[in-house]
Amino acid sequence: MAADTGTIRAVKYFYYSSFIWLLIGMLVGLIVAIKYIAPDFLVWGPLGKFLSYGRIRPIHTNGVLFGWLSMAYVGGIFYVLPSLTRTPLSNPRLAVATGVLWNIFMVLAVVVLLLGYTTSIEYAELPLFMDVYVVILVALVIFISFRTIVNRNEKKLYVSIWYIMGSLLWLPLLYIVGNLPYRWIGGVPQANMAWFYGHNVIGLWFTTVGVGFIYFLLPKLTKNPLYSHKLSLIGFWTIATFYVWNGPHHLQNGPIPLWLMKAGVIPSVLLIIPVWTVLANVFGTMKGKWHVVADSIPLKFMIVGAIFYLITCLQGPFQSLMGPSAILKFTNWVIGHAHMPLFGAFSFVVFALMYYSLPKMTGKQIYSTSLMNWHFWLSTVGFLLFAFSMWVAGVLQGFAWAEGKQYGMQFVEVILALRPFSMIRAIGGGMMFIGQFIFVYNAIRSVRDGKPIPQQPTALIK
Amino acid sequence: MANNHEQSMFPFILGSLLLFLIGVIGTVLLPFYDASMQEPNINADARNYDFNTAEYRGRQIYIREGCHTCHTQYVRPVKADTALGPVTVPQDYYYDKPHLLGSVRTGSDLMWVGARWNEEWHRRHLLNPREMLPGSIMPRYDYLSDAELDDLITYLMSLKPASQAQGR
Repeated sequence: MAADTGTIRAVKYFYYSSFIWLLIGMLVGLIVAIKYIAPDFLVWGPLGKFLSYGRIRPIHTNGVLFGWLSMAYVGGIFYVLPSLTRTPLSNPRLAVATGVLWNIFMVLAVVVLLLGYTTSIEYAELPLFMDVYVVILVALVIFISFRTIVNRNEKKLYVSIWYIMGSLLWLPLLYIVGNLPYRWIGGVPQANMAWFYGHNVIGLWFTTVGVGFIYFLLPKLTKNPLYSHKLSLIGFWTIATFYVWNGPHHLQNGPIPLWLMKAGVIPSVLLIIPVWTVLANVFGTMKGKWHVVADSIPLKFMIVGAIFYLITCLQGPFQSLMGPSAILKFTNWVIGHAHMPLFGAFSFVVFALMYYSLPKMTGKQIYSTSLMNWHFWLSTVGFLLFAFSMWVAGVLQGFAWAEGKQYGMQFVEVILALRPFSMIRAIGGGMMFIGQFIFVYNAIRSVRDGKPIPQQPTALIK
Repeated sequence: MANNHEQSMFPFILGSLLLFLIGVIGTVLLPFYDASMQEPNINADARNYDFNTAEYRGRQIYIREGCHTCHTQYVRPVKADTALGPVTVPQDYYYDKPHLLGSVRTGSDLMWVGARWNEEWHRRHLLNPREMLPGSIMPRYDYLSDAELDDLITYLMSLKPASQAQGR
């Protein structure tokens, strides 16, 4: 598919945009992490209020969720669909225009949040006119993607395409449910709807597109056929069945009826089925090819991403149960957990996809293998420091609260005790940020100065 | 390996939408019909602020400054919440628009914070949290105007169980 300039231009536009939001989003994340140690960090006079924790925290989440990962996903979808359907992307110019509109949206979002306009609903902070904007952007992506699929030259719909189709149908629907104006609905039903969205945007957009990418990359990077077609089919239909029910577990032990807690937790536990189908396919396909991991950094990213996906889906159901939730809910544990699917699992998969697809599109190799390696290790070690510090801090915090240290000076004593963990978190976050900086630098250098890919690639060891 | 079903988009589209719809009905639609969601209680009435009262404006400041990013407003029937006041029920939130339940306790729970400290404490704490609670990592809110500070404090002081609010 390398000769199709329209497709390439659209994919590149989305990739490059996502780089910018990756760096901005993670920089804000780092600032937020530092504020846990030094609350007056970056608070200067009249400008201080625009950089106060409560205002910039949503810029971190929205920046990495909608600017980085979602734009990277759309770029990835625009690369994967033409490749699997053997069809150029439909309306490539409209695709670039969508990217431009998306960037304008992100800039607007940052301004709106800095000025303190927020609905206060987590991950749905943006006001109504911005929500309408999002739905239009998604509608454009759907139009382009489905038109490409309908026009396909390859009759068979590959596994990745099911996942992408499903995700593109679910995303606008769950976004609308979660962002209905709070003037219509308030109180607990609104919280419940907000978490329906908050959880499903991860489960039925970030997870399912990411799994689609894993199924796309797996045979390409290992040069093995997919281990089991049937397993991937089971995985798709079970995730579609169970994930939608997960929202209420965010209000576990809270002011919701008991039946609703059960309705939220039981499907959470059943999610082990779809995640296991993915992992079984990854390990099955890798059989006999593990030595390739040593030389292929994209494959390293993908395998580690898949393992983080597994850990996420073991941890998530555990902490949604009534008992563990009573200790872990509201603590730093949740912050560690929330970063795992989004950074550890699916950002890693996207890195693998970008390292794989950039050379295919530009005809140039990745500029520096050693910088790629630095990106991998800084991201992995940085994230492990981040996640473990948050998990341990969360457990300590939860038990301290259970002993009665729930407000006032006792509460602050717990915060003081957790200071070392906050520092480790900031150091890990700093490493993650430096890793991404290296990634973006390396990607840009690859496009400009990468060595041309030889026509006949040297044969790999069989 | 490829069978005919997998050449058609239709089963995937229909199946995806149908399963999604079932989940929406189960976890979004049905809760509206639960008896606990149907009516307010006295706590909800106490939190039903008229437009443009000090409490109302204070709540808007609470939202604007993102207080909910660090503070929850719900008390659960668990050990970790025993000192925080009465366990909250859906009826308490009947008029909360938007809801401010929150998801993380970087700072402590504020559901009934009005019953915990007095106005003077809140004022000094908001201006410099470390004066009242040495080691606290809460940001200073010394950039709020006096009027905004008053409104915010009035809102915080209104967050108490209705039975206690009567006596004051």
